[in-house]
Amino acid sequence: MKNFIQPVFQRYWNPYVVLLIAGILSALYFGLTSTVWAVTGEFTRLGGDLLKLFGVDISGWEYYDMVHLKGTTWSRPDGWIVWGMFIGALMMVLLSNNFKIRFPQQKRRYVQGLVGGIIAGFGARLALGCNLAAFFTGVPQFSFHSWIFIVATGIGTFFGAKLTKMRWWKGKPTLTRGAAKPSKVKKRIIQPYVGAAIAIVYIGLTVYFFATGQKLLGLGALFGLAFGILIERGQICFTSAFRDLFLVGRSVMAKAIIIGMAVSSVITVIIISVYDLTPITQIAALSTFVGGILFGLGIVMASGCETGMMYRLMEGQVLFLPVFAGNIIGATFLAYAWDHLGVYDVLVESGTKINLMDSFGPVGAILATLAMLGVLYALTVYREKRYHRQLAMKRGVNQHAS
Amino acid sequence: MQANKEADFTLDLRGESCPYPVIYTLEALEGMNQGELLQVITDCPGSFRNVPEEAIAHGYTFAQDPIKNGQEFLFYIYA
Repeated sequence: MKNFIQPVFQRYWNPYVVLLIAGILSALYFGLTSTVWAVTGEFTRLGGDLLKLFGVDISGWEYYDMVHLKGTTWSRPDGWIVWGMFIGALMMVLLSNNFKIRFPQQKRRYVQGLVGGIIAGFGARLALGCNLAAFFTGVPQFSFHSWIFIVATGIGTFFGAKLTKMRWWKGKPTLTRGAAKPSKVKKRIIQPYVGAAIAIVYIGLTVYFFATGQKLLGLGALFGLAFGILIERGQICFTSAFRDLFLVGRSVMAKAIIIGMAVSSVITVIIISVYDLTPITQIAALSTFVGGILFGLGIVMASGCETGMMYRLMEGQVLFLPVFAGNIIGATFLAYAWDHLGVYDVLVESGTKINLMDSFGPVGAILATLAMLGVLYALTVYREKRYHRQLAMKRGVNQHAS
Repeated sequence: MQANKEADFTLDLRGESCPYPVIYTLEALEGMNQGELLQVITDCPGSFRNVPEEAIAHGYTFAQDPIKNGQEFLFYIYA
């Protein structure tokens, strides 16, 4: 038993393996439901639900027609993807006895989280997808908007990383002289039992969905759970993929995401061809680019994107409460601004839906996608190498000076 | 490898989320004299992996293996 518990619960899983599985599962989820793994569309709907709760009439808002605001979050498969992810992450945090309420020492983080969350939520919905639908699950749908989004996110993240490095933004750590005592560890361990109880209830719920013929809800609940488990165990952080390249020359997450997308693309093109499905294409317009830049900037400001935020919140990181609230506020504000403030007319109307499958056929689409991912991978490696070359030079100079 | 030496400095990062544990750790190490020992206490799960990996990638060495202490980790790194 120990041989099983050790690697599964005590250690985090290899991000390459995790994103490979996530890539395969998201392709399968598309094959089974003709929808993709996504979260921010549901955040926008949650915002709409809240507005309705407070008596706001949103029946005329075009954006809510577009994202099909119907029923409640409990009767929407996309809703269960979100709740499944939260529960899957919470389950794994508890099973590994890692839950702890963590308050940031720097109080400024709360403001940064809220503002960053709003910007990221707004940007993601402006571009019609976050790091999932316009990135990890957008590229394998051969929707060209995800290509624009990736480039724009990279640019936004670059400026976010610059901001992060500024003294007034990052704050000063408390470096004290001498050794300090760590926290006292509680002897009684109860978290794994709570985790197991949640797992049993949730599996019961999923079985109930299938038994009562609500297949789409069941699939949403099941895949949501799997995605939640994966992102928590792999500590999958899309924010860090670009940001850490700029900050500390770290490339693990970027490489793993690129490989996951490549595998997912290959499986998706096969599924689309064999089952004759229509890939999900979003409009590619100026809004995609602007949204991507805002999204990239916002996620770095908030220290987490819409996906990373979910498992961090479940770990007990209090910072991510304002981030979650910000994401929903930003997404909801975009839904308002879409037709009321002319966002659609200025940024979206001139765009078109472009799918590589239509433009180049399946073989051309997959070859173009793999080539693009190859270029991204090469750029990542180049950036990492350059960082470390400069570091070595800096250290050499320092040693000569001292 | 056990540290017989008492840490010269302690960086208490409990509560801070990524990327600040990595940034703070690297900055602290950069500001210390070579050979001094830094103790890092952190509870951001992301930092359990990226702090040690980046400390090593930036040319610092560990005085001993990381210690898991409940929901936090302790690192002992030579500047």
